[in-house]
Amino acid sequence: MGNFLQLVHNENIKIYKRARSWVMLGILVASAILISILWLSFGGRDTSMWEVMSTESMILFMLLTIFAVVIAASSVAEEFASGTIKLLLIRPWSRSKILLSKYVSIMLFAVLLAAVLFASTWLINWICFGINSAVSLDETQQMLLFPGSSGPFAYMLMYYGMKLLSLAVTLTLAFMISTIFRSGALAIGLSLFLLLGVNNFVLLLGYLEYEWIDYLLFMHLDLTKYIGATRLEDGSNLWFSLGILGAYYVIFVALTWYVFNKRDVAA
Amino acid sequence: MAQPVVRLQNVSKRIGGRTIIDRLTLDLPLGEVFGFLGPNGSGKTTTIRMMVGLMSMTEGDIWINGHSIAKEYEKAIRYVGAIVENPEMYKYLSGYDNLMHYARMIPGITEHRVHEVVKLVGLEGRIQDKVRTYSLGMRQRLGVAQAILHKPQLLILDEPTNGLDPAGIRELRDYLRLLAKEEGIAIFVSSHLLSEMELMCDRVAIIQGGKLIDVRTIRGAESRAETARVIIEVDRPQGAIEALQASGLAPVQEGEQAIAIETDREGIAAANAALVAGGIKVYGIRAHVKSLEDQFLEVTGGESIG
Repeated sequence: MGNFLQLVHNENIKIYKRARSWVMLGILVASAILISILWLSFGGRDTSMWEVMSTESMILFMLLTIFAVVIAASSVAEEFASGTIKLLLIRPWSRSKILLSKYVSIMLFAVLLAAVLFASTWLINWICFGINSAVSLDETQQMLLFPGSSGPFAYMLMYYGMKLLSLAVTLTLAFMISTIFRSGALAIGLSLFLLLGVNNFVLLLGYLEYEWIDYLLFMHLDLTKYIGATRLEDGSNLWFSLGILGAYYVIFVALTWYVFNKRDVAA
Repeated sequence: MAQPVVRLQNVSKRIGGRTIIDRLTLDLPLGEVFGFLGPNGSGKTTTIRMMVGLMSMTEGDIWINGHSIAKEYEKAIRYVGAIVENPEMYKYLSGYDNLMHYARMIPGITEHRVHEVVKLVGLEGRIQDKVRTYSLGMRQRLGVAQAILHKPQLLILDEPTNGLDPAGIRELRDYLRLLAKEEGIAIFVSSHLLSEMELMCDRVAIIQGGKLIDVRTIRGAESRAETARVIIEVDRPQGAIEALQASGLAPVQEGEQAIAIETDREGIAAANAALVAGGIKVYGIRAHVKSLEDQFLEVTGGESIG
């Protein structure tokens, strides 16, 4: 009954009709431009565009994660806070599908952010460093910066792919917290704390000899280590990490949907 | 009575051992404006939340057009349009975008229908403005608009006159009566504004402490041959009482210059004739009809929170 895409369309409107989403996209692009111009004015043009793009992407993906978490955390929580959840739920749709439409719109927004970041860093650095470039990466440099792949462009695509995979898990976590606690602030705070704060302990934790540490979510959120220049010698591999992330993902999704379906809406 | 479009059967809600709603049973026919009256905290909003599936029922079930809210929610809710508490809308969207949002969720609602509804609630001039800029009255109208968008058979309005000015209240009242009569839909209105309910509703259910206390018919009550307390202003109350006692009535003195009798319409005319024949000057006769407020306070015992 009805068309599910219409629900997603509704949720998209709620994201894109608000100034904050466009401010986020603007900040992302502006930051990329700023870093490139600073690099250009202090470092000159003796750099490969790929090197700048890779560094920029690494820094700005952190910013992108924060933005996406804000959107993911506010989607359900704001409906509760403003009371609009009541009018949203009393339609001929199951709660699961309404929640799914929100989830889909969040994931689409995250992909859009990543695509914009990719395109803008690529374009800006091509303009700043790429046109008539005197620098060409030799074999060793290429191996160092972009190992095991067929060229820098393919490497960057893979890098974004890995980042998006772990972003999806992070966003699902934020979505779960906001659905269960109905508080956007708590969801944003908690997910970012776990993400930024705990990530700093990950390296420390890695030295501990406990078996269970290998099963912590945060040991596996950085998938780029499997394609990067600095391979960690911790014995883990990509498939093990994906397996752990997948297990957490299933638990997050199951909890989120269970709680949302059971809840008495008394806002 | 017409076929009931809504049937609440033995509906109970308990939260943590506390009974919020206690075995509520109600039938609502099409074409009637049904009032749901109760003091604050009596369970009005909880009942409405259960009727639209926002809250689960601990016991019992609610059927809308034969579909169970608990088991066939998506089918049952199609026939329902509602405002639960305040009409909260997406403030960062325009009124029109808000309506389109809800229109997209139900198949078959055209843009033409949206415009029709906008015109109906009188928001044509401001529909493209952001809801943030709306007054409470305008939001209430927008709330009504989203509720009737899909031509529901049951319209549930929680405190619909909140924030409306007298003209707005009157307009809404006339409109609801029109909807009930012309479109033949059932309208379920909750309120604690007694006088408002009296003007708006055909029947009123009174709820207190989660229990249904009474269901009363309001429309048509005046025309029935009921005895009422009649107050007659006279110049000599003592003489009037004697004159009326002589004609078989049982008057009592009411204040300095008036007497009161319990009688029906014919009795009033007879009493007047007796008084005039007895040389008593009659300055005024008025029937003291019990208002819904009196009845309400009578059945709820004047308690505010049960």
